[in-house]
Amino acid sequence: MSLLRLCSSGGRQLFCKSPAVEPLFTGCLRAASRAVNDKEPLKKAKTPKGRFDNLEETSKDVLEKFPDDVNPVTKEKGGPRGPEPTRYGDWERKGRCVDF
Amino acid sequence: MKSRCRNDPSSDNMASVRAASRLLSKRVLSTAKAVPAAAVQGSRNFHFSIYGKKKNAKVSDDISTQYPVVDHEFDAVVVGAGGAGLRAAFGLSEAGFNTACVTKLFPTRSHTVAAQGGINAALGNMEEDDWRWHFYDTVKGSDWLGDQDAIHYMTEQAPAAVVELENFGMPFSRTEEGKIYQRAFGGQSLKYGKGGQAHRCCCVADRTGHSLLHTLYGRSLRYDTSYFVEYFALDLLMENGECKGVIALCMEDGSIHRFRAQNTVIATGGYGRTYFSCTSAHTSTGDGNAMVTRAGLPCQDMEFVQFHPTGIYGAGCLITEGCRGEGGILINSEGERFMERYAPNAKDLASRDVVSRSMTIEIREGRGVGPEKDHVYLQLHHLPPQQLAARLPGISETAMIFAGVDVTKEPIPVLPTVHYNMGGIPTNYKGQVITHVSGEDKVVPGLYACGEAASASVHGANRLGANSLLDLVVFGRACALTIAEEHKPGEKLSPLKPSAGEESVANLDRLRFANGSQRTSEIRLNMQKTMQSHAAVFRTGSVLKEGCDKMDAIYQTVEDIKTFDRGIVWNTDLVESLELQNLLLNAVQTINSAEQRKESRGAHAREDYKDRVDEYDYSKPLQGQEKKPFDQHWRKHTLSFVDQKTGKVTLEYRPVIDSSLDEQDCAHVPPAIRSY
Repeated sequence: MSLLRLCSSGGRQLFCKSPAVEPLFTGCLRAASRAVNDKEPLKKAKTPKGRFDNLEETSKDVLEKFPDDVNPVTKEKGGPRGPEPTRYGDWERKGRCVDF
Repeated sequence: MKSRCRNDPSSDNMASVRAASRLLSKRVLSTAKAVPAAAVQGSRNFHFSIYGKKKNAKVSDDISTQYPVVDHEFDAVVVGAGGAGLRAAFGLSEAGFNTACVTKLFPTRSHTVAAQGGINAALGNMEEDDWRWHFYDTVKGSDWLGDQDAIHYMTEQAPAAVVELENFGMPFSRTEEGKIYQRAFGGQSLKYGKGGQAHRCCCVADRTGHSLLHTLYGRSLRYDTSYFVEYFALDLLMENGECKGVIALCMEDGSIHRFRAQNTVIATGGYGRTYFSCTSAHTSTGDGNAMVTRAGLPCQDMEFVQFHPTGIYGAGCLITEGCRGEGGILINSEGERFMERYAPNAKDLASRDVVSRSMTIEIREGRGVGPEKDHVYLQLHHLPPQQLAARLPGISETAMIFAGVDVTKEPIPVLPTVHYNMGGIPTNYKGQVITHVSGEDKVVPGLYACGEAASASVHGANRLGANSLLDLVVFGRACALTIAEEHKPGEKLSPLKPSAGEESVANLDRLRFANGSQRTSEIRLNMQKTMQSHAAVFRTGSVLKEGCDKMDAIYQTVEDIKTFDRGIVWNTDLVESLELQNLLLNAVQTINSAEQRKESRGAHAREDYKDRVDEYDYSKPLQGQEKKPFDQHWRKHTLSFVDQKTGKVTLEYRPVIDSSLDEQDCAHVPPAIRSY
């Protein structure tokens, strides 16, 4: 038990020092923490896998999804996001005209 | 394995070609054996075949010892795997035909995937609707150049086609009750134009074409169509005016394949890439139209090309008219809002063709912007950025990605851009390719066409929005149904000369070792610039004539082409040069047809002949008018033939079909003045 704690604390220090060693310790840390039931918050590595776990960091699409995917005005389910594409007489999306 | 060594010490080239062909024959033979993919050792089986079934294909050197040919036999072969091609291919497989689908792109990469609009059908989910009103709208939209029997067929089949797609799993957007949601789009009206706006356009969020293609591809995998992906179709195998198959180049290993079939369907798409600015993919090179032209058959209505005024310079994406609706203005090199001169009242909100023509005139008169002064600017930075972001969300992203400009600070470079080709291979309403002999339409046996490549003429002189996806599925299915009606699976193939296709292989060989002075890319750019400045929106007699002469000269420069890659495996230089030959055939037909047509109709608008010239003057009552003879009016289809060697275009004309399929059920629409 104590060995694992040592390992985890050592890992945390090493995080600040060498990014190359992080992945090794992350694996060790994750495996260790699963055993100790997540007592301290996981420090995710700056690998792509780690980054995608933080959903708040993903950029929001300019066209927002409707709640439940139902357009509140027209009651269309599964329709195009954002303002009505045909409002200018052509089919517009993100400023691009795709049909007219 | 035959590999005759010819003692020909004349050049090193021959020795390397011999070695290459020996290697090639070995590889070709190994892929031709009928073994399950997993058990093949040494050569991987790239071609998808769902139950591991592979027809025994024979290798021969009937054409040339340098290019051994693999011969395949099928009941039907489909060239092109976009919306129309896939629908035809699996329609045929469903009917029991042994079908091959030859495509230069993987099916889900075809240009159909970029169609984001919707698909029109008179389902009547939003209000009372009738397909006969859709029929009227389409005939009117085509400026009475569309064949009314084909339009009748398409609009009558539309609801069934959309329901069929929905049953295949295409996730259309729904109303609250669960029916398919339809919106107003594309010049659709109720009660023959008198009942207000119709809601007929069904869509899948904002990616209808993408979803359509994937649905069709997924559906096609249920049937055992043999896909030959990344095979570039070179030519049709014609004998005695009958089409007996296709010859294709396998890009992956450079082998030549002959697909013998009783029925050939062409669904290769449009030819946007003849112009400098187009929305189409780089692969839209009109290969099917060129194959048909080389076979001595005509192409129809090639001069009708649909333009959009504001396409981003270089990228080809279109900027919505909403930008101008929200206050955006078009400016020239002097910073002047030039639309005030051309349309004093409507200014930038004038109709699309007026705006396109004004922009082209400004560019022609030297007031264009940029280093080559060949485009104009669309200015939006005078509008408040919050308003822009609220009304047109995503436009700053689009402008940054495609034009590299910050829309709140700089103007967007735009110019009129090609979007769709109404012209193509002439067919009847069943999808059979026709030619016009002695005043009658004659079917070419064994050849069919559908999709943008064909001109069954439902779009006539102008295509309505959301009708082209409908065109794909209806006529793809029509081709399959016609073939199923007239032929049986397993029919004996008619005999074919053993050396069929040798001109194609000779052309291939010549291009592969071409050592002139002009690169493929140079010739292509010349052609594109010439077409953009002479055969675009602004058309007058002198400009078109000049363009025809320039195009003739450019056509001749292909003799002087230079290619660099001498290999045969994945030779993109060779494939681009073949595509260039196809593009040139399409381009010369377009510009010559436009030069000859002395009227303005639909998308073909001429400054010197601003009016439509029909057999009667429909703006006045018909009483007392004399009907003009066929050769003095222009309500007719253009049929263009090209002499492959000289590039000379010959034009003939065929009448428009004015009667619908069933006059009792749906009366034809007599011509009238088209005004919205």
